[in-house]
Amino acid sequence: MHLSAGNQDVHILHDISFEVPAKQVLAIVGASGSGKSTLLGLMAGLDRPTHGSIHIHGTNITTLAESPMAHFRRQYIGYVFQAFHLIPTLTALENVALPLELQGVSTGEDRARTLLQAVELEHRFHHYPIQLSGGEQQRVALARAFISHPPLLLADEPTGNLDSATGNLVIDLLWQLHEQHDSTLVLVTHDTNLAARAQRILTLQDGAIVNDTSLIA
Amino acid sequence: MIPLPLKLAWRETVNSWSRFVFLFLCIALGVGAIVAVDLFATNVEQAILGDARGLLGGDIELSWRRTISPKGQAVLDSLSDRNITISHVTELAAMAAVESNQSADQETKASSQLVELKALDSLYPLYGALKVDPAQPIKQLLKPIAAGCQHTPCFGAIAQKSLLIRLNLNLGSELRIGQAQFIITGILLKEPDKIATAFSLGPRVMISREALDTTELVKTGSRINERYRLQLPPSTKLEQWLGELRGRLSPEGVQITSYRDAQPRLRRFLDQLTLYLGLIGLTILWVGGIGVACTIQGFITQKTPIIATLKTLGADSSQVIHIYLTQSLLLGSIGSLAGGLLGTGLHQGLPLLLQGIIPETFPIDPTLTPILRGVAVGTLATLAFSLWPLLAIRSVSPSLVFRQDVDRAAFQREPRSWTKEKMSLVKEWWHDRTQRVTSLLITGCLLGLACWQAHSLSLGLFFAGAFLLAILALLAGTTVLFWILSHIHFPQRFLLRHATSNLQRPGNFTKPMTLAIGIGVMLMTTLITVQHTLLDLIEDQIPANAPSFFFIDIQPDQYDAFKEMLEIHIPDVPYDLVPVVRTRLTGIDGQPINPEDHKGKRNGWYFTREYVVTTFPSLPKDNIVTQGQWWDHSQLSTSLENHPIQDRLPRVSVEDEAAKNLGLSIGSTLTLNIQGVPFVVKVSSLRRVDWGSFSMNFFMIVEPGSLDGAPITYIATARVPKTLEIPLQQAMVSAMPNVTAIHVGDVLDNIAKIFRQLAMGIQALALLCLITGAVVMIAAISINRFRRLHELAILKALGGSRRLLLFSLGTEFGLIGGFSGLVGIGLGCMLSWSLLHFFFDLTWNINIPVLLTGLLMTVLLTLLTGFLGTFRLLSFPPLSVLRQE
Repeated sequence: MHLSAGNQDVHILHDISFEVPAKQVLAIVGASGSGKSTLLGLMAGLDRPTHGSIHIHGTNITTLAESPMAHFRRQYIGYVFQAFHLIPTLTALENVALPLELQGVSTGEDRARTLLQAVELEHRFHHYPIQLSGGEQQRVALARAFISHPPLLLADEPTGNLDSATGNLVIDLLWQLHEQHDSTLVLVTHDTNLAARAQRILTLQDGAIVNDTSLIA
Repeated sequence: MIPLPLKLAWRETVNSWSRFVFLFLCIALGVGAIVAVDLFATNVEQAILGDARGLLGGDIELSWRRTISPKGQAVLDSLSDRNITISHVTELAAMAAVESNQSADQETKASSQLVELKALDSLYPLYGALKVDPAQPIKQLLKPIAAGCQHTPCFGAIAQKSLLIRLNLNLGSELRIGQAQFIITGILLKEPDKIATAFSLGPRVMISREALDTTELVKTGSRINERYRLQLPPSTKLEQWLGELRGRLSPEGVQITSYRDAQPRLRRFLDQLTLYLGLIGLTILWVGGIGVACTIQGFITQKTPIIATLKTLGADSSQVIHIYLTQSLLLGSIGSLAGGLLGTGLHQGLPLLLQGIIPETFPIDPTLTPILRGVAVGTLATLAFSLWPLLAIRSVSPSLVFRQDVDRAAFQREPRSWTKEKMSLVKEWWHDRTQRVTSLLITGCLLGLACWQAHSLSLGLFFAGAFLLAILALLAGTTVLFWILSHIHFPQRFLLRHATSNLQRPGNFTKPMTLAIGIGVMLMTTLITVQHTLLDLIEDQIPANAPSFFFIDIQPDQYDAFKEMLEIHIPDVPYDLVPVVRTRLTGIDGQPINPEDHKGKRNGWYFTREYVVTTFPSLPKDNIVTQGQWWDHSQLSTSLENHPIQDRLPRVSVEDEAAKNLGLSIGSTLTLNIQGVPFVVKVSSLRRVDWGSFSMNFFMIVEPGSLDGAPITYIATARVPKTLEIPLQQAMVSAMPNVTAIHVGDVLDNIAKIFRQLAMGIQALALLCLITGAVVMIAAISINRFRRLHELAILKALGGSRRLLLFSLGTEFGLIGGFSGLVGIGLGCMLSWSLLHFFFDLTWNINIPVLLTGLLMTVLLTLLTGFLGTFRLLSFPPLSVLRQE
């Protein structure tokens, strides 16, 4: 991938090529600035590579225009951010139901209730993000990511803003949801313990894959 | 379930309402002005149409400018037999006088006063109600008083309060009009057949028909208005009656009006007034719209992380635009509702602003339709002004959720020249369908609003075009000033350079602020310049030798006595005394004129008005013959002049503008109706008349001898020395009570007063435009308050004192004020010049003190507004600001 600054090209990722089988848990690790988050953003269709292509579920997402890409994202991709990115003016329940509302599904809140119960937040349905702790906010974000049963779940440093105890709770829930929904999970992390729970670890360095290790056969 | 866009919009609005206060205000001020004007227009409509029969005084009115002829009377008599009720009202100007011992303050109060006399029969009013204090039947109030006054006979009279104030009278005081004596028995509160009181020669006095006969004011050729109001039987067709009456009375020089076209002049005046006030209201709304666009742009910038989040969750741009458009419209609707309330309040204040122009009893009742219309107009304006900034949502990349600090578009952009930048914008617009469609939609909205407000497609298009031109001119002017500013070498004072570069930094909204204030300044400059010029014309442009008095209705048998009186009371003062006859134009070149064909048409009054015709042997001063020849009876050189007048058509000289509008040329013949008798004359010359001389001037002058045997009266003008005015007036009223003395100064004072009042009303609304500009400025400043706060904190941390920071801010806001003021005043001068030159045909004069005051006031306003928007930022401790980064 290339990003230009003035007349100067800055190569953030190069010669990246890999496949992730369905239902696999892949951890992407690497130092700061190695291109982990950029790679995840490319996989989510949030950015576009300057060269090459990305195929998800049989679709080359690099050729999709904005609107079809948004549509594809709604159906196939769930995303969990390090900074949670909840909508501050919506309650926990409404935040979780949001992806379905964007799809025009009217029963979103029923599913959202189930998912919030799954992440043990049944007592926080009507709380706004500002009234929730960091861990609770990330659990709401987890529930939101899974609400439309996405086959691919992308998580960008999901525990980066949390203390270790809360982080562990969130990761347990993430794994639990991943197993329940049979989704493919790709997560970016600095946390080696968390990476060790994955089936495969991809190590990036200066925008290139330097190691691709499968932990479980 | 509440739809997502509405839910998000409502929550955002409730949670951060204070952020939108200025947006609400921007919309509310414009909508308020529009609603207030609309409510007033609705009241006018209600007052005129709702009580149209009351205003006309009947279903049909037949009016003559003379005593009705026997033939006309016969027609009226025949109507009475057909179940039609007829009420007879006579109106004329007259002098009312009080005995010297009645007027308490002899030094300051005059003892005579020009009044508008109205003689009523017992059927008046056929429709509507006359309100009098005390509330007694009219018949009772106007009846002959048996006890009598000091002089007999004596009648009751109802008078307007202003007469009582001017002559220092009370209920029960005596008054003399003509040969009759009256006792004031009632104070007139509301006259059903008169809506406006401003344009009158004097206070109203109502008397009975019997009393009118006793006054002996109505003589041959007197300036009177005989009105016969007809009440038709129910279930009869108005058009049928109009047709019959026009057919039977057309040779009688009658004006026939039905209640459907009652008060056409007043209606036109009020329609035009409300139209122009409404367009000023729309200007305010559009200026407020600039504030809306700035606020939405700032809001969208702040909401970038949420927009990016929504996109990562699968929302496409149109969905996100839909969400924020809903929010904008919700905000606009709330602002519009607030505007509706504001407008209702302003509407209650309108009688204060238009005092003297609209009657005190004018209904000021708020109605729902104008408020709802205002809300619709405000919401539509919000749509038009928020659509373009909302398009920026399309360029928010979802990747900003994890790379917020990088503005990729800016990062990739190479520095380009101004021309290249603009060309690229145009190119982008051309290739982007959404931008093109949105532009069309915005244009459609704005044009729709303009046409809706102007009630006319052409005027709406003209208004929108003029507004666009003003915006372009303001932008061009500001760009030039910026260019000059960027090329000035400033001394090495950082804060000064900081202030000036702040003005030009992207996202500072300097141009919108300049536009918003500049339009207000332009409007005010235009109004004040036009007002000054017109008031100067009314007050100061009367020539030094212009007459101060007009005397009308002097009977032929009073000719010698009148001359003698003038020679006794104002010896050595020249005067003009000429015979006149009152006529109506009934035909041109043998073709009859139907007044109905010309009613309501531009300059149609040339065909429908009464012509006062005189005769002069020689060309009057202030007149220049432009075509043909003036008659000269001293040199009988032409064969025509050798013919005695009995053997040929008398010649007439016509004022050139009247000739142009009537389609006359040399040799045309005119048929004039003098009290029912046709009088045919031939146009022998056209004249240009200097109406501004205030001398006695006429549209039509016939050659001497033509009026022999006609029912003439005399009119006179004289420049009476100030100290002799009251003695002469009193002597005249005493000796010749039927002669009406009109004081030119009083009439002009009255016109100036009305004009000033009107100007004040319009300026008050224009001031609202300037206030809206200031609100837009505060809105624009508040959008960048965090950036400003951060900068001020850094400057403070680096040792900048409060005084220095104030200096920097003052320079920035002062320059905005200076730019807006200069460009606004420049455009205002151009606009006022165009209005005065093309519309009023007057000379535009530069009024340096007024313009400089305007510039100074603008700079002060922007300084004040700027400080209001930033003074709280100066008090934040720098450390607390910098720690929160």
